[in-house]
Amino acid sequence: MSTIRIRSPASYWLAVPAAAWMLGVVVVPIVLLVWVSFWGGRAFSTASPLTFDNYAKFFANQTYLKLALSTIVHTATLMAVTGVLGYCIAYFLVMKVKSPGWRTVLFLAFIVPFWTSTLIRAIAWVPFLGVNGVINQTLMFVGATNSPIEAFLYSLTGITMAQVSLYTMMAAGPVVYMLNAVAPQLREAAMTLKATPLVVFRRITFPLTLPGVVIGQVLVFLNVMSDFATVATIGGNKHALLSNLVLLFYEGSQIRAASVVAVLLMICMLVGVVVALRVVDIRRLGVER
Amino acid sequence: MIGWPRIGWKGRLSLTSWILGTITLVFLAYQWLPIFTLGLLSFSGPTGGTTFPMNGTSFHWYEELWRATVMNDFKPPLVRSSLLALACSATTIVLSVMAAQAMRGQFRGNGWFFYLMLLGIMAPGILVGFGFAIMMRLMGVELSWDTTTFLVQVSWTLPFGFLTMLAVFNRFDKKVEEAALTLGASRLTAFRRITLPLVLPGVIGAGLFGFSLSYDEYARSMFTTGPDATLPLAVMAQLDRQLTPEIYAVGTTTTFFSLIAVLFFTLAFWAMRRSTSLKKSSSA
Amino acid sequence: MDALAHDPVEGAAAPAMARPQLDLELINIRKRYGDFTAVDGVSLKVSKGQFVCLLGPSGCGKTTTLRCIAGLEEPDDGDILIGGKEATRDPPWQRDIAMMFQDFALFPHMTVAKQVGFGLEMLKKPKAEIAQRVQHILKSFEIDVLADRKPGSLSGGQRQRVALARAMITEPRILLLDEPIGALDYSLRETVMLELKLLQQRTGISFIWVTHDQNEAFSLGDLVVVMNHARIEQQGPPEEILQRPATAFVAGFVQGNNVFRGRVKELLAGMLRIETPAGTFLVPRALAAPPPMLGSEVSFSVRAELITDAVFERHVNRLSAVCTAVEYFGAVRRHVFERSDGEVLKYDQFGAHAARIVPGQQTVLGWPAEASVLHAGAGG
Repeated sequence: MSTIRIRSPASYWLAVPAAAWMLGVVVVPIVLLVWVSFWGGRAFSTASPLTFDNYAKFFANQTYLKLALSTIVHTATLMAVTGVLGYCIAYFLVMKVKSPGWRTVLFLAFIVPFWTSTLIRAIAWVPFLGVNGVINQTLMFVGATNSPIEAFLYSLTGITMAQVSLYTMMAAGPVVYMLNAVAPQLREAAMTLKATPLVVFRRITFPLTLPGVVIGQVLVFLNVMSDFATVATIGGNKHALLSNLVLLFYEGSQIRAASVVAVLLMICMLVGVVVALRVVDIRRLGVER
Repeated sequence: MIGWPRIGWKGRLSLTSWILGTITLVFLAYQWLPIFTLGLLSFSGPTGGTTFPMNGTSFHWYEELWRATVMNDFKPPLVRSSLLALACSATTIVLSVMAAQAMRGQFRGNGWFFYLMLLGIMAPGILVGFGFAIMMRLMGVELSWDTTTFLVQVSWTLPFGFLTMLAVFNRFDKKVEEAALTLGASRLTAFRRITLPLVLPGVIGAGLFGFSLSYDEYARSMFTTGPDATLPLAVMAQLDRQLTPEIYAVGTTTTFFSLIAVLFFTLAFWAMRRSTSLKKSSSA
Repeated sequence: MDALAHDPVEGAAAPAMARPQLDLELINIRKRYGDFTAVDGVSLKVSKGQFVCLLGPSGCGKTTTLRCIAGLEEPDDGDILIGGKEATRDPPWQRDIAMMFQDFALFPHMTVAKQVGFGLEMLKKPKAEIAQRVQHILKSFEIDVLADRKPGSLSGGQRQRVALARAMITEPRILLLDEPIGALDYSLRETVMLELKLLQQRTGISFIWVTHDQNEAFSLGDLVVVMNHARIEQQGPPEEILQRPATAFVAGFVQGNNVFRGRVKELLAGMLRIETPAGTFLVPRALAAPPPMLGSEVSFSVRAELITDAVFERHVNRLSAVCTAVEYFGAVRRHVFERSDGEVLKYDQFGAHAARIVPGQQTVLGWPAEASVLHAGAGG
């Protein structure tokens, strides 16, 4: 018994406002986008005939296809880097920091930046990456190189560097949660069964944290695929990924083309999420038969 | 014989600790250094460029910020962003409390409802913003920061508030509700007088999400604000123009405001937590 | 007087089976956590194939001691020898031990067969041998039908068997058990206790069993070690602990003792006359030990079943008390009295006898001098 009766009309109606809001603002527009991507004819209206032309135009264009591919490769790189980094950090924070005071301090130190704007944090990388930027100045000061490295700003490297700083904690967060859930007795039991610490990690700890790893990767995947701001800020006009293409078309009033790219982005993301959920299922928490 | 610390096997594991610890701390610096640099550079001298050297320190760029010009006025966007954030915060609180309470009632289809909420988090901002803008265009609705942007921003903040409230209700001991009901309170009264005060920390958390996420939001807002920009959009517009340290001043200022808001909400959160805690105070 | 015969261990002429090897020896183990001393000077010798129970209240250090033996904690001081070999600085995976945890600590992501075979995998045994030994041990614990199940779907009793099989399959020298039946239903505990006792006798592995439950400790242990506040209060076979508690704590902790504290009033031949708030009593003392000083504080106890209300000449120790409650347990009828010093006195009568005392009744109870047990360590 509680303040809400199970399966009562009240519980249903309490959910309606939120549901309506999400349906109206998220679901319908997305469905609309899919519809619009099939619109033919000249006029932009709901009476437009449906055609595959927009898609054909997109796929015929080599530049766009290369763009899509590099987006995927770029995202995969980010996922790998943030995955490994994030796990190391999560493991350190949960397993190696003994004093709860320090652990809280470190957690806060990592979480606080998330309450600030990702846009500002991306912009903050600009003074670092340029030809006269902090990194180059430091490298030259230290003597590691004589002429500034141009490869940072306006390049995928620079974008990657910035995005690593932005998204690693997304990969780490779920892992922290799952690591906390692994009872210390399990690791101790494995040690009394003649397992060395490395084996304990490989056979016990890591498999049990696999769902966290997967969820973290999905979060990074979704965010990197749709991150146009960092690419625009750091890549300047020299680089674009799929998400920037949507904007490009939109600003050029090519709504249909924009919606094609939008739909493709959506499909990529859906595929990613479904694959991830499958992996978590099949692995069934890293089951060993 | 007593006293000398003996290095056993646990001590030897410290090599892993050292490696992981170094990685962690290096990354901490990696995450914070840009922000610090941003703050530092915002105090550049009047002739300073967008990177080092700073050519002296001054408040010059903050003064520039304050002095509104037609092109560079950040004050109205700041006001708009703040109002929007407050509105989103309030709406998120109300809707997420309702939605989470509804989930407790396990209505039919609540699994789908949960996924619907999750969709709001997973759907990328550009797609939602773009789609919504098209929809408004087709419906003949004019885009404006206080209507259409408000609608999309809530669709982004609401799921976060919802998840927060779900977590809070999961930890909530509903026996206190049962006690209230057996003492003659109606369901609504029990919710108002018992449940709500106890889950207030979670409510504040939801409010914080609502404020913070809305204040920094740009992907959805970009398509839906119409002619009047919010602060992040004004910043983005500035990026397309000539880059001066003024942008760092903006960035520092807005970050500062964000942190103040977070601090405010967090303090309120801790205050609520302590006043509703069952633990005995140490000064008994 | 052959010099070689007296030659200690190194001597080539020392007989092959010189002394039975101790499975475990703890020498003055000390472990501190900051200001708190968890284990303070614990020394223990466990012979081959012995069932040892570490008994004591929460926080007495018994679990910490067990974890030190396992290698999960490192003592600040002292030595641990397993099978005669120095193991103090060895990590758990190098020690000849296995452990059963309180909540079993089964690996949730592994099937029963996989995790029972885990220890053998770590020992790099060939797959065929692992499969065969797993099958064998699962059969002997009657859980072979569960081989492909995961722990989540097992009952408490089944989990306990899996945890046991997983530990025993490596044939360790010592099995460490941390409150192993605490997580089981009450009805299951008796059965499991008996099974484990028989298992220990059959396999000849030393068991070190940590518990706060006296019934477990006294029915299972060959050697019972009573601990309190990081120290060993008394260790010995169950009978010794029950009949001759060495300290006031042990006497009070173990059921069925009446503890008296007082001062030595008079030294007699082989006896002490001790004056307590509840009366003056005769307590025998060991002649081998030096006598306590007159006036020093001592404590002694007398078992509840050695008291009688049918007081005769030989029951030199007597007191008068008011009965506050009578409890009947079938085998025994326990009378609870209030002594003149306010403490509780328990008098157990054989259940088959007729009840003679009712609550509210004032009676004189007595016991012979030799039923009193003097505690070591003056001052209680």
